[in-house]
Amino acid sequence: MLWLALHLPALSLEAWSATRCAEWAGRPGVLLHEHQVVHADAAALARGVRPGMKRATALALAPDLLQGSADARRDAQALRAVAHVALGFSPSVAWLPPGTPGVAPALVGVRLEVLSCLRYFGGLPALLARLQQALAPLGHQVRLASAPTALGAALLAAWRDDLALGPHSQQPQAPQPLQPPQPLQALQTLLDGLPLGLLAAEQAAALAGMGLHRLADLRQLPRDGLARRFGPALLAAIDQARGEAPEVYRWLTLPPRFASRLELMARADTNAQVLAGARLLLVRLLAWAGARQSRIARFTLVMHHEPRHRHDSNSPTETPLLIAPAQPAADIEHLHSLLAERLGRLPLPAPALELSLRCEHLVVAAAPNGELFASPGSQREGLARLVERLQARLGHDQVQRLVAVADHRPEHATRWLAADPARLGQAAPGTDEALAGARLLGPQPLWLLPQAQPLAERAQLPLHEGRALHLLAGPERLESGWWDACGPAVRDYFIAQAASGALLWIYRHRLAIDEPGSGWFLHGLFA
Amino acid sequence: MSPDLALHPAVWRASQIGSGTLRTSASGFAALDAQLPGGGWPHGVLTELLLPQPGIGELRLLAPALAALGGGAGGGAGGGAGGGAAGSEPCVMLFDPPASLSAWALAQCGLSTRHWLVVQARAGQGRGGAAGPQPLVWRPNNAPDTAPNIAPAPGLPRGANRLAPLLPAADLLWALEQTLKSGHVGAVLAWLPVNLRADALRRLQLAAQAQAGPVFLFRDALARSRPSAAPLRLLLQPAGVDGLSLRLLKRRGPLLAQPLRLQLPPVLAPQQQAAAEARQRAREQLQRLGPAAGLAAADSAGGQADPAGRQADPADPAAQRLR
Repeated sequence: MLWLALHLPALSLEAWSATRCAEWAGRPGVLLHEHQVVHADAAALARGVRPGMKRATALALAPDLLQGSADARRDAQALRAVAHVALGFSPSVAWLPPGTPGVAPALVGVRLEVLSCLRYFGGLPALLARLQQALAPLGHQVRLASAPTALGAALLAAWRDDLALGPHSQQPQAPQPLQPPQPLQALQTLLDGLPLGLLAAEQAAALAGMGLHRLADLRQLPRDGLARRFGPALLAAIDQARGEAPEVYRWLTLPPRFASRLELMARADTNAQVLAGARLLLVRLLAWAGARQSRIARFTLVMHHEPRHRHDSNSPTETPLLIAPAQPAADIEHLHSLLAERLGRLPLPAPALELSLRCEHLVVAAAPNGELFASPGSQREGLARLVERLQARLGHDQVQRLVAVADHRPEHATRWLAADPARLGQAAPGTDEALAGARLLGPQPLWLLPQAQPLAERAQLPLHEGRALHLLAGPERLESGWWDACGPAVRDYFIAQAASGALLWIYRHRLAIDEPGSGWFLHGLFA
Repeated sequence: MSPDLALHPAVWRASQIGSGTLRTSASGFAALDAQLPGGGWPHGVLTELLLPQPGIGELRLLAPALAALGGGAGGGAGGGAGGGAAGSEPCVMLFDPPASLSAWALAQCGLSTRHWLVVQARAGQGRGGAAGPQPLVWRPNNAPDTAPNIAPAPGLPRGANRLAPLLPAADLLWALEQTLKSGHVGAVLAWLPVNLRADALRRLQLAAQAQAGPVFLFRDALARSRPSAAPLRLLLQPAGVDGLSLRLLKRRGPLLAQPLRLQLPPVLAPQQQAAAEARQRAREQLQRLGPAAGLAAADSAGGQADPAGRQADPADPAAQRLR
């Protein structure tokens, strides 16, 4: 068995300041619990703030301190995202969030068993490189260690950060023996130097008082005396770490639906701040989708606003935003750009304090193969994404495709409807039949004015821009649309030449109309 | 004396037409192909077409090239319903056309519109607005009757308000750039206003390098005096019925002094075309006689020319009613 342990030394601070905005980047930050400093980041430590200080002392040392409250649930959510990423590498992942009974705070983290997956990933170094690459978007500081036992790996990860390749791949310090030590023996040798503060946090002071600093010292003492003094749990932990007792873990199972909440560090007044916070939620969503080997069909981002203070105020408490890409996607840049364009158009009704992301719709299917040379299929997918982005920014109805309707009236024969990115390149039903009769008609103009422009008349000839038009081609009579509420279209169409030489398509109402005007209209241009 | 060194394809002498490594598609007009560098419309660079007003035959000029891009209407119909087979025909995207396209006319020109997309980036029809104002190109003339012979302001062609607005919609340039950079579109036709900053055009030119097909920008003829980064600029003017006069303002090659006159695919039937040409000749004759011939003479000449055209349809009651 080969175990990998992931230790996040600054988990609480990173989970809290994930949404820190750029203006507050240099300020020190601390996490407080009951007015005492529990965690302090590097900037605060540089100013002299130490865990255990009172809040007033910390503020005196650093007046521009950012204060947050320690929240185990927030840390657990952040750690769960890391566990979901790990689930993409191994099916046996144990998730130990802060607050798990029997787990020391320093041993909180994720442990995964990877021996069965080593061959698929091509060796331990390759697996570790891919794991670190997958964890990079989450923005956590991660220390890895590998060992034949899980607790041993966790202890090594918490103790040193140079043991990722495991004790069995370390060059032994001692002169070269005839045979390299077995992995378990190498681990036991390493663990002998472990400081006891990691293994037994509460009893560390008592042990130090007795002059016991390393695990080797503890092992020299009689076991029953130790058990009586410090409890059987300590002995069991030592045995499990050394591989002499079995370990039992409950494997993490993926929830069928994704729901994650993120509290923003500062109130978000603009859409850009909401987007920055939403990016982290997107990363978590993709980690979960990746662990399920599926792609996302749609998700909903909900912005929770400040609570209403007046009972009669009708500003909403939350604003949902549904993002549904035309094709299921697992690409964070594409989803981020879609979200950015939609957020850019959405007016925020009130400042947002919290964001949450929900996803229930997944598509469990193999991802489309990547291609070395662009083929028509991949081009169409790229075109669908382009149309989606344009629609997200300009509006759904601003990107249009042609639908031909079988109607003799020119203004109704062509309709432009919103394009559907999932069905690009497919003719609308009925278009081909409607266009089949086009060759029976007279010459049609390429430009059609959306509304026919009335023309003045002089000496029974229509005027365009003040000059008379010359009618070149005789009338083409149209009578249709008697069912329409605004009356039938009874027109005679002519092709006329304007003074500039361009050809125009004009018509004249055959029936007398009540409105003032000559009855001549300009309907199209022969472009 | 000096040997004629073989030049790198990207370099050309000022007296030659540079073809370089451009991919081109034939324009369908032999006279034009002979004058264009590379022998056709270039791919991957901007081509600017300047018009006095829309609707003088610019789309009929481009129709052969657009039809050839995708194999024409026949290829499109054979693509079937969805699937991989229909992927061979590239998409044609139009940005902010001045009016609506007619499906029948496109079918008559031989263009398959299954893969055509229109992007409207005008502010009035944008975000959340209900029916926006009419496209600004076709503002009805405010005073057509009172001043029939409106003399245009000097230097400003009549109809200069036709291609308003003067400033581009904020998202039009963004959408153009995204489309050009993606490289998934077959051809791009965009209608841009007159007031365009030079660096905006340069950005579009850089973005167009990723484009696999031709890029056509339509602007008002007022823009001919403005600098532009497009390597090919043409000024189009109507020349008679179904005729187009092209002046190559800028190209990778020597200046062409004479305008090209192209005959577009005809709209009218042959006898109607003959009648129109007869009228055109009569009008030119009148102009040669000078303005002293007077308005009355012009009217009588117009009246004489009209029956000549109408006699082609003698049994037309509507034509007789108009006389």
